[in-house]
Amino acid sequence: MAKYILRRLLYLVFVFFIVSIIMFFIYKSVPGDPARMMIDSSKQSVDPERYEQMYQAAREQLGLDKPLPIQYISWITNMLKGDLGFSTQYRQPVSQIVGVPMGNTIMLNLVSMVLVFLITIPLGIVTAVKKNSPLDNAVQVGTVVGYSLPSFVIALLFIFLFANLLPIFPISGMNAPGLTGDGFNVFLDRMYHMALPCLVMTFASLGGITRYVRAAMIDVLRQDYIRTARAKGLREKVVIYSHAFRNALIPIVTVLTGWLVSVFGGSVVIETIFLWNGIGKVLYDALMQRDFMVVLAMQMFYVIITLAGNLLMDLAYMLVDPRVKLGN
Amino acid sequence: MSSQKKKTNSFSRMFRRIFLGSKRELSILEEEQMQSPFRTVVRNFRQNKIAMIGSIVFLLIFLSCFILPIFYPLDVTYQDVSQQNVAPGFTMTSVPSALKNNAAQISGGATFGVGIDKDGNYYSWGQMDKKLLNVPENMGKLVQISAGLNHVLALNDRGEVFTWGYDRLGLSRVPMDLSGMVDVKQILAGYQISFAVSEDGELYWWGNENIIDVSPGDHQGHIEKIAANSTTVIALLDDGTVAALSSKETLFSKIPEEIQGNVVDVASTDNTAAALTKDGKVYVWGSDDYGQKLVPEDAQGKIKSISAGRYHYTAILEDGSVIAWGRDNFGQTKVPVVTNAAQISNGYYQNYIITEDGKVQTSGLSGYLMGTDGFGRDIFTRLIAGGRMTMTIGAISVIISVIIGVIIGGFSGYYGGKVDNILMRLAEIVASIPFLPFAMILSVIVGNSLTEIQRIAVIMVILGVLSWPSLARLVRAQILAEREKEFVTAAKAMGIKEWSIIFKHILPNVITVVIVDTTLAFASCMLIESSLSFLGFGVVEPTPTWGNMLNGSQASTVIQNYWWRWVFPSLALSLSTISINLIGDGLRDAIDPRSNDR
Repeated sequence: MAKYILRRLLYLVFVFFIVSIIMFFIYKSVPGDPARMMIDSSKQSVDPERYEQMYQAAREQLGLDKPLPIQYISWITNMLKGDLGFSTQYRQPVSQIVGVPMGNTIMLNLVSMVLVFLITIPLGIVTAVKKNSPLDNAVQVGTVVGYSLPSFVIALLFIFLFANLLPIFPISGMNAPGLTGDGFNVFLDRMYHMALPCLVMTFASLGGITRYVRAAMIDVLRQDYIRTARAKGLREKVVIYSHAFRNALIPIVTVLTGWLVSVFGGSVVIETIFLWNGIGKVLYDALMQRDFMVVLAMQMFYVIITLAGNLLMDLAYMLVDPRVKLGN
Repeated sequence: MSSQKKKTNSFSRMFRRIFLGSKRELSILEEEQMQSPFRTVVRNFRQNKIAMIGSIVFLLIFLSCFILPIFYPLDVTYQDVSQQNVAPGFTMTSVPSALKNNAAQISGGATFGVGIDKDGNYYSWGQMDKKLLNVPENMGKLVQISAGLNHVLALNDRGEVFTWGYDRLGLSRVPMDLSGMVDVKQILAGYQISFAVSEDGELYWWGNENIIDVSPGDHQGHIEKIAANSTTVIALLDDGTVAALSSKETLFSKIPEEIQGNVVDVASTDNTAAALTKDGKVYVWGSDDYGQKLVPEDAQGKIKSISAGRYHYTAILEDGSVIAWGRDNFGQTKVPVVTNAAQISNGYYQNYIITEDGKVQTSGLSGYLMGTDGFGRDIFTRLIAGGRMTMTIGAISVIISVIIGVIIGGFSGYYGGKVDNILMRLAEIVASIPFLPFAMILSVIVGNSLTEIQRIAVIMVILGVLSWPSLARLVRAQILAEREKEFVTAAKAMGIKEWSIIFKHILPNVITVVIVDTTLAFASCMLIESSLSFLGFGVVEPTPTWGNMLNGSQASTVIQNYWWRWVFPSLALSLSTISINLIGDGLRDAIDPRSNDR
């Protein structure tokens, strides 16, 4: 067990470095010179000689005068120390920029995740138990439609329905403009603004997860121990919720950990549409503004959470299902 | 439970055999003997109603996207501000029936038309906003009417001028003189500007003077008739000469010398001006696109009057027939055959021919099936061209990903050991790169310095290269199971090359799984391409795809007022991904009947 985790961790580090090298060289191939961008504002005010000096100084400061492998090493060591670089757009260190958006993204995703599981698990169980019933067939078609719809189409539809046709929710944004009041009022207003993106996110993931729960449940219901439980004369409720569902949870747990990535990573599309100041929006803005230090840091962050998510998924799988033996 | 089901099945089979007399149903064993697995799959698939509906819907969308563009070609660079955000519908030439037999004058605006009958009553039709419908009351008997871009001017028999519709930029400030003080002989509503010419040759104008340069100078007092487009006013003077009423030299002021003194009529499209001389000839000058200078040769000398739309001319000949030339993007140069045309007036892209007995015949642009977008482009032609682009990108990226996935999965599964380890680690690395952000970054970095076609190719490659790992894993798992079977051993014993064992002997056994996965991946590639284009990182304007047609439509004005701009692309995209997924699911069920239970 410990050996397995160690091996996975080693492997994770290996993959991380490979991806970081790829990312770094992609970043290096970006057209444009960060040193020039840094001193761009003083281009008019100083004479050419002084400008050249400033340029060289900036190059030195950014470490651009060294060969690429050394640049990579210094970048990755800084990165590991927590120095993520300097944003040209905000003129602040990257690590300071992502804090608040991260909180917003986590809030939005956690709420929608709870909603998704509250809806999909009962729905999946019911449709699995009543397989091939009219309800099941309707839900099956509904889920195909659900997971086929792109999230921005769902977003447009929901904005139309709930912000224009029935003006219940605000169209976009994080807070009402010019809002004053105590912390609780601000919080309520934030929740109010969060409702629509949260609904869209929930709706967008209903289809896939319902199908997943249903498939897991059907697999379990076919097992011998379910027949045994029924043969013992247990009530159907006990069979389904106690015997079957607990075992069906095993694959569901893996979906749950897989969601970790999106909880921290956010959704570029939804955050951009609703102007929700989250991680996805930060990435979008950074790309739009050609603020590549932020992009690079975000990208590495995404890689780390994906890899960590994979590891966590395997471990969770092992923890909830004693039959699974990893590392063989 | 299952035996009970079987019984009802056999009952229904018997029922069918008795009453429908259809072909004999086979038991599974017989079926396997008689039918190839492929035919079984096809039959299973065809029995799945939902999957068949999906196939039909997808086929329809596919065919419309690949065949209709031949009939409705897309001019990628076309834009027209006068046609922006027009709602769907074909009402632009729907002249009311009360006017149709009794018309005195008609005038066409950008997307609407107005007319007066012989009793001076007012009629209107076409795409009109609230302000245009807000007609002043008690106008009395109207004698002249003129429609501009989005406003209307009217003159009654007491010499009063009325205006309604767009009222900003000073359009609502009708000069005091025109409220019955002077005799007006011509009114003209232009591009956000209004003109009136008095009987004594004075020009009055009011409205937006920022884009049009009006300076009649010492021609004031000699003006007979004017024609205006969005930049210049052309005047016919009382000595039979033509003048461009602008302060600067423009293309419109380069009037052919030989016609001066002989002109009887003037007209002007948006980039040319035309004059009709006494001997029935038309001269066109200005910057010519779309063949506006190509006056039909056999009509020269026989022309009685001319009029102009936005980029085309129409003329009445001496025998009462009508000809048209110039731009033909909406069929506006096709005119009905008449023999007694009395007057013609043109909307931006329409022709209204009034015959001597007051009947109205129309031709030209009657509307847009799906409306227009913010640049005045027809959504329908963009939708079908965009569908072709989206599907092509989806298909090619899927093909790339299938080729990579099958090769890597095949080698990995067949060889196992070190090769397997390395290839699968590679797959994991690619899979651990977050898809959408990475594709966005690559498209920003790589796509910056490329032409449109290269950019599209790069997007296909990005999508293909990033989406193969799941298929590779699937193929690997399948091949792991197959490679221990006897036929592989036999093939090895016969000394067949390993490459050929993998791809000629094993692969056909797992191809069904690949097909299902490809179908589903096609839908997801289309979705990702659309998301990228929607965010502005995929295919960019003006080349349409379903994703970038939706770009910017989350703004509340678009969602609320211009529903056609987002409903149609969303609908097309959703319908095709849904139907592809239904086909994929149906295929999976057909190939592996056990998965029906899932």
